[in-house]
Amino acid sequence: MNGPPPRTAHDPLVPGFRFLTDAAAPGMLHAAVLRSPHPHAAILRLDVAAARAMPGVAVVATAHDIPGDKRFGLRVADQPFLCADRVLTVGDPVAAVAAETPAQARAALAAIVVEWQPLPVLADAAAALLPGAPVLHPGGNVLHATAYQRGDVEAGFAIAAHIIEDVYETPRQMHGFIEPEGAVAIPGPEGLTILAPGHWAEAERQVIAGMLALDPARVRVVASPVGGSHGGKDQLHAQPIAALLAHLSGRPVRLLWSRGESIAIGVKRHPFTIRMRSACAADGTLLAHAVGLLADTGAYSQHGPEVLDTAHENAQGPYRWPHVHVTGRLVASNAGNSGAMRGFGALQVHTALEQQIDRLAAACGVAPLAFRLQNLRADTAPGQLGQTLAAPSWASLAARRLRPPPPPRQEGRWRIGTGIALVEKGEGFARGGPNQASIALCLTPAGRIAVQLGMSDLGQGLHEAAAVLAARRLGCASEELEVLLADTAETPDSGPMAASRGTGIVHRAIAAAAPAFLAALLDRAALRLGQPAATLRLGPGGIWAVNTHANAPLLSLAALAEGAPLRVLASAAPIETTTGTGAVHALFTGCAAEAEVAVDCLTGRVVVRRVRLIPVSGEVASYAGLRAQLEGCASIAAGFVTLEGLPAPQGRMRADNLDGYLMPTIADAFLLDVDAVENIPPDSLGPRGVGEIGINAAAPALCNAIRAATGFVCRRLPVDPEAMLTHLGAAP
Amino acid sequence: MRVAFTLDGQPVEIDAAPGERLVALLRDGLDATSPKLGCGIGRCGACAVLLDGAPVPACLVPAWRVAGRDVRTRDGLDEAALAPLLQVLREERAFQCGACAPGAIVTLAALHAHEPRPDAAAAELLMAGNLCRCSGYGGLRRAIARLFR
Repeated sequence: MNGPPPRTAHDPLVPGFRFLTDAAAPGMLHAAVLRSPHPHAAILRLDVAAARAMPGVAVVATAHDIPGDKRFGLRVADQPFLCADRVLTVGDPVAAVAAETPAQARAALAAIVVEWQPLPVLADAAAALLPGAPVLHPGGNVLHATAYQRGDVEAGFAIAAHIIEDVYETPRQMHGFIEPEGAVAIPGPEGLTILAPGHWAEAERQVIAGMLALDPARVRVVASPVGGSHGGKDQLHAQPIAALLAHLSGRPVRLLWSRGESIAIGVKRHPFTIRMRSACAADGTLLAHAVGLLADTGAYSQHGPEVLDTAHENAQGPYRWPHVHVTGRLVASNAGNSGAMRGFGALQVHTALEQQIDRLAAACGVAPLAFRLQNLRADTAPGQLGQTLAAPSWASLAARRLRPPPPPRQEGRWRIGTGIALVEKGEGFARGGPNQASIALCLTPAGRIAVQLGMSDLGQGLHEAAAVLAARRLGCASEELEVLLADTAETPDSGPMAASRGTGIVHRAIAAAAPAFLAALLDRAALRLGQPAATLRLGPGGIWAVNTHANAPLLSLAALAEGAPLRVLASAAPIETTTGTGAVHALFTGCAAEAEVAVDCLTGRVVVRRVRLIPVSGEVASYAGLRAQLEGCASIAAGFVTLEGLPAPQGRMRADNLDGYLMPTIADAFLLDVDAVENIPPDSLGPRGVGEIGINAAAPALCNAIRAATGFVCRRLPVDPEAMLTHLGAAP
Repeated sequence: MRVAFTLDGQPVEIDAAPGERLVALLRDGLDATSPKLGCGIGRCGACAVLLDGAPVPACLVPAWRVAGRDVRTRDGLDEAALAPLLQVLREERAFQCGACAPGAIVTLAALHAHEPRPDAAAAELLMAGNLCRCSGYGGLRRAIARLFR
């Protein structure tokens, strides 16, 4: 049987490539979890005695068996590892079994006795706000709130020529990664090793150690490679229960979630209800913008506060608004768990805001592109919440590459329309977030240069980006580099792989580590060669003399590696700002999009024909990688607008597998053009991440294309074909 | 029940419950993990294997059905024969995280080897049973356009 996967590049085309959920260990037990069938219920009695006596059962665990912390979370530890007295969602874990075979584990679950008392169900955020609603958390159902005001919106509305007011609803979108959540926990003499796809190995280690009351040094987490995440594995999933069962039994344990478990309890994109009242003068000058945000975070906080903060921070877009009022509420419900997903809160407000902008432009008879250019904030102006920025988002550079959308047309039974959108989104975390990142550069005993980074490759190409950017900075060939990701036994804490920060962090951390590493290499070479370090440089294959025409290095890296190990650890300074109101980012990336859709007048279906994305990328590590990221972005955006939504009536997800939830297939694919803005005024911040921004720009451009084609306002996503047909039937 | 079949060219024999699915037999019993269990209902295609040369979702095949037959996973494909196809998939960035890759490669290889070979439009349609969440299918479509001329 096999242990951890080999430390090769994240290359799934190589035969034998294994994900962490493919791992197995000698004597491994198989785990299964007893989950709540109720959206909201009290646990009156829980009896696992019979299950403990079942054949093949090694251990049965309940909350009472947890030696340390009972709950986890980011800002607030409000989610139980195992529920003791109350469940807040279908799928909440109550007890867990590890047995010799998966079938024995499942059989033991059936022997657990639970007496439930069903409680009233809060199906969504609106229900949770009603007077007399059951209270899900000690501080009430509102888990986080935001408010921001500038100028006087009422005064702005009073002098406005045009006001557009509407309510937009965005769907609970599923991440839809192909590898469901899972973990393998292996006890050993060195402590407990957890192999599980994740985003932030170091934080996962700390939380698991806290749960087991262990010294974190006795816990090792390997979190990369990841078989798809899109944010869905950016919080603990199967790791804690697998770790607990392994800890209690002293044997390796594998816990793999089924797709049904993933859908019931895994996180989803937060459904938002967004009220916007936006106004401009007769000449198109924006005047006032009032925004009310309501986000359904489901049973527990998860990333909810950060998601709401991000929505709040992006509610104004890259525009000048003299008068602004934004408020937001994050509310708990009994409908699963909402959490991190690419686009992260900003996507929801972008789809609403960019439709408002288009509608205001139409109201005053200005073309959509001209309207945006007319109201664009200056590149050097403060950010949306008044913060000083580390660099401009350069949204203006993306905007100037937009082409005016052609007029809509009819092709047989199809209505064709083109829409545009312009957005900006923060990179990294807001003030106070885990913005630090360490990296280590090493000369391995085998004579290779290793980059050690605590972040994970989710398929976004971090492995490749790290190799390319390190090779560029160090002057060696990228093939000579080894990249080791997300293994707490060796990699430093680089913070989470999230928030589009990977590429920029790698650039900045390598820039921080490279001078000391190169100096150490050259000093050692100077000693060996008996010539000054200033006459030497690192190049392909080893150490070369500067200004030489030689065709071989003076000293190979293998020869240089003899002796003491060489490792340089350095950190990238956090990019934060002390100015502005609330949880603000200091760095934003701009992106523009054009989208063409065809709406079928017979079926009401929306078909995406073509999308053009214009991200402000700065320096590009890999063009093929950039295009691949943006193609993925555009597809997830198309799903968000045209196909995907997971309603949870009465707190029960309407699908329990991939047959009940439509994601784009190859038959839904469309052409994507990429026109990246690479030439931006130089700064030290490195390449801008594009792993999310393409979704944020493409989705509202698609909404605007639909409205251009049909006049249909995308108040509720995904677009319901029935609603479209009704609209088309009513339209003249 | 004892089931004997050929797995990736090697004879294997394993105990299986009558209703057990091939994907569980492969992944849990035989440590053949290149087929991925994405949904268990034949929708995502990540567990596709070749059964006597034809692609099938291993999650829909009961164990008894493979007795005496030839099962080939992505890891059991002939690498030399596969190399040109993989080269194109790599150049076109068909996959990102790669969890869907083994099932997609098995299916694509079978389509590519099929006589007569489907054209690109037909091959695309036949790949609609293999879900990929990362790529938006751009790279896969470019690869298919080159491989199925």
